[in-house]
Amino acid sequence: MNKLLVVLLTAAMLATTALLPAESQAVTKAEDIKQFTLKNGMKIIVLEDDSIPNANMYLFWKVGSRNEYPGITGLSHFFEHMMFNGSKKYGPKMFDRTLEAAGGANNAYTTENSTVYTDWFPADALELMFDLEADRIQHLDIDPEVVESERGVVTSERSTGLENSNYRMLSEQVKATAFRAHPYSWSVIGHESDIANWKLKDLQDFHKTYYAPNNAIVVISGAVKFDDVKRLAKQYFEPIPAQEPPREVHTVEPEQVGERRVYVHKPSVTSPNIMFAYHVPETKHEDYYALQVLAGILADGDSSRLTKSLVFEKELAAQVFAFSSESIDPNLFYFYAVAAPGVSAQALEQGLIKEINEVMKNGVSDQELQKIKNRQLVDFYREMSTINGKSNTIGSYEFYFGDYRALFDLPDELNKVTKEDVQRVATKYLRKANRTVGILDAKEDSNENDL
Amino acid sequence: MKTIYKNLHKASLAMLTSAALLCASLQVSAAEFTLPAYQKTVLDNGLTIYLMEQDEVPLIEVVAMVKVGAVNDSKAGLAEITASNLLLGTQALEREAFQETLDFIGTNTNSGASLEYSFVSASLASKDASVVMPLLKDVITAPALRESEFTQLKTRYLAGLERQKESPRAKIGTFFNALVYGSHPYANSVSGSVSSVSGITLSDVKAFHQQWYRPENTAIVVAGDFDSAQMLKELKKLFATWSQSATSASKSPTANTLMVKVANLNKARVLLVNKEDATESTFYIGGKGIKRSNKDFVAVSVINTILGGRFTSWLNDELRVNSGLTYGARSRFSSNKDAGTFLISTFTRTETTTEAIDLALKTYEKLWKAGIDSDTLESAKAYVKGQFPPRYETASQLAFLLGQMFVYDFDESFINTFSQQVNELSVEKSKKIIQEYFPKENLQFVIIGKAEAIKEQVQKYGEVIEADIKDDELVLP
Repeated sequence: MNKLLVVLLTAAMLATTALLPAESQAVTKAEDIKQFTLKNGMKIIVLEDDSIPNANMYLFWKVGSRNEYPGITGLSHFFEHMMFNGSKKYGPKMFDRTLEAAGGANNAYTTENSTVYTDWFPADALELMFDLEADRIQHLDIDPEVVESERGVVTSERSTGLENSNYRMLSEQVKATAFRAHPYSWSVIGHESDIANWKLKDLQDFHKTYYAPNNAIVVISGAVKFDDVKRLAKQYFEPIPAQEPPREVHTVEPEQVGERRVYVHKPSVTSPNIMFAYHVPETKHEDYYALQVLAGILADGDSSRLTKSLVFEKELAAQVFAFSSESIDPNLFYFYAVAAPGVSAQALEQGLIKEINEVMKNGVSDQELQKIKNRQLVDFYREMSTINGKSNTIGSYEFYFGDYRALFDLPDELNKVTKEDVQRVATKYLRKANRTVGILDAKEDSNENDL
Repeated sequence: MKTIYKNLHKASLAMLTSAALLCASLQVSAAEFTLPAYQKTVLDNGLTIYLMEQDEVPLIEVVAMVKVGAVNDSKAGLAEITASNLLLGTQALEREAFQETLDFIGTNTNSGASLEYSFVSASLASKDASVVMPLLKDVITAPALRESEFTQLKTRYLAGLERQKESPRAKIGTFFNALVYGSHPYANSVSGSVSSVSGITLSDVKAFHQQWYRPENTAIVVAGDFDSAQMLKELKKLFATWSQSATSASKSPTANTLMVKVANLNKARVLLVNKEDATESTFYIGGKGIKRSNKDFVAVSVINTILGGRFTSWLNDELRVNSGLTYGARSRFSSNKDAGTFLISTFTRTETTTEAIDLALKTYEKLWKAGIDSDTLESAKAYVKGQFPPRYETASQLAFLLGQMFVYDFDESFINTFSQQVNELSVEKSKKIIQEYFPKENLQFVIIGKAEAIKEQVQKYGEVIEADIKDDELVLP
């Protein structure tokens, strides 16, 4: 599978999950999941699953690039790295060394809204996992020397993304253009000069504010027993003191009242890449489900409108995607297309607009609506076929909807979406005045006398 | 993201093909972890069928594995473009109706080739098996292969080849294989070049399909939520009439390649690939590795875990954690039937290119100079065992594993004795493994970056050969 697609699918993962009444005996049901909240406000969700002798712990922290401001852009992501660099009991390198020696592994990811730590381990290492996490949550010890070498690591992560991914390069510019007030304006990885310059104090404040137990959701799935998890959570996590809730992000992006455009020059690009971004509401908004269905009808599968028309019939695009990701604040509905050989950015742009206008003008069919509902159900089963998929999905629903049970309401919510709803949200949001257009191409943006 | 390591774990078995020993990994309680029961049947026409019931979710995963790959290409890219053409409709259904039918019920399909096999796969809801299985039978045994669809696909495919030239990561593997395998068919680029693919016609694709997509050369693997007896009956009904090749039935697809030996590498070489707007250098360093059937396959993977197969590996620790030169450094073995490669890979900004290469080489030498102590070895053993079960968790992963068994001639003992093989590796044995399998002399380097900025400095590593990432084909002296 194409790398870009993987990125987009991951971003849109939640968007493509649904559950109808379980047909298969073993499919996870709402009542299989148990939860409790510790006295310090940390929420723990548990799913017992013995399919393999392993377990995981997913920690969702309510902090992402939306909690940053100019000068510390990228700090949430940098912090994700610093959480591995030493604490009181387990010094530098010891988190990874101890976990790997016990047969475990881990990773982490940061988004505009969240920072998520993903630990995978043999089920008998459960207590060790609690010990490791509790130590770094409560007693992170930030070593100034490690901060310096980690700046190099993150700068390399940033540049290798830009070097190998046109999508990354273009989306950074489009976000900066679509948002002029809200922190969604900058990329999650941040500005290079901020990566080089934030101070130790910035990091210490950040940890105290955001890595508080009342700011976390923990999901554990696998070959574990609920009672063991509860006992260990009380022993290791409950003593960690709660903190004052972080400052609210109060900035509201002012309404966009006319199209914005941005051009990016990259000499090694072989055909133009185009991104459209339209402002849309947050995940908890009533239009969320209709927008997800709209994205599916436009670009999910070879028979979707955009792929069918632009890739197969008109041969304007080599690839095309449409999606919007889960978000705490109002965010963007994206289109991304790579031009077919010899096709200009203008021709591809017009092709995209024509398809979007078609939905606005003539709506969608019953068949298309049903197709998306069918596809989301099968995608849900795929997602729930691993313990890691389960933890990530359950945690993400808890995070964005405020209750993981929203996952099990999805079929009902999707069934409520009508053809009229899909046409209405297309008309409401996919307007020119609400659009930012980004073009990435090999030609320098120039007038005739510039070169 | 913290690290690139885990992405590779997720790369699943589809990649194990030419992929990574590094991934071969299993756990402490792995004694409990054995391959679920499956049934293997060979039909009268030679078609092999594997069935494995897995009922956690109401899905069925199908993988058709055909023993033919890029090693059999007469024009580079032929195996891959043949596989790509299969999913563009059947003789009864035009492409558009075919896609609409599968999309409507949420069935995902995929096809592709590697060096030594081609595959068609499908993921579907169990209830849709009666709709999907006959369609799969059609695309595998009697694909439509229409001229108009072929022409369109070729245009898209060629554009994809051009796009690969935008990304060092997308191109570096092909360059490296060319350097290590030389004139052996394992040097073949699976995707082909713009000029070779331009020369592929629909007749080439039809002939290739007819020659190689044969029941005696194919396995159909089905894993998921179904009843085996009923599924076998259904598959027999669908595939029993698929006839054997009249002429070349006895000819094994890789027979040609196995007759050629990979030449020895008798000098260190540096393939310096220019990318005009590069801000970083992406590089591979390595040489010959091991074949898939090597008796020490598992032991080699444990040693490689220590060198460059996990986050705390020596390479990642030195190049990333201690020095901040890169986001990640790793090493891996890729194994084919008759030979394989070993490589160290990382990237760093243009200015620190030789600093990073020097440090990678110095770290690699630790294998011989310092060797592996017992604590490190025990940690790596626990790690590969602990990370093994999640790799065979889903029906899709298991289906591809069975498909790999068919192509690479191994069986469930790989899974069931994995733990034992890992446990048997001692410090003494590790020394022998290092001496025997990790290439020490005449290393081969591929560096993609801004050539004019680094050309002088990289000459010290070996004879420099220059190329450009935009070049369509690599010509080695």
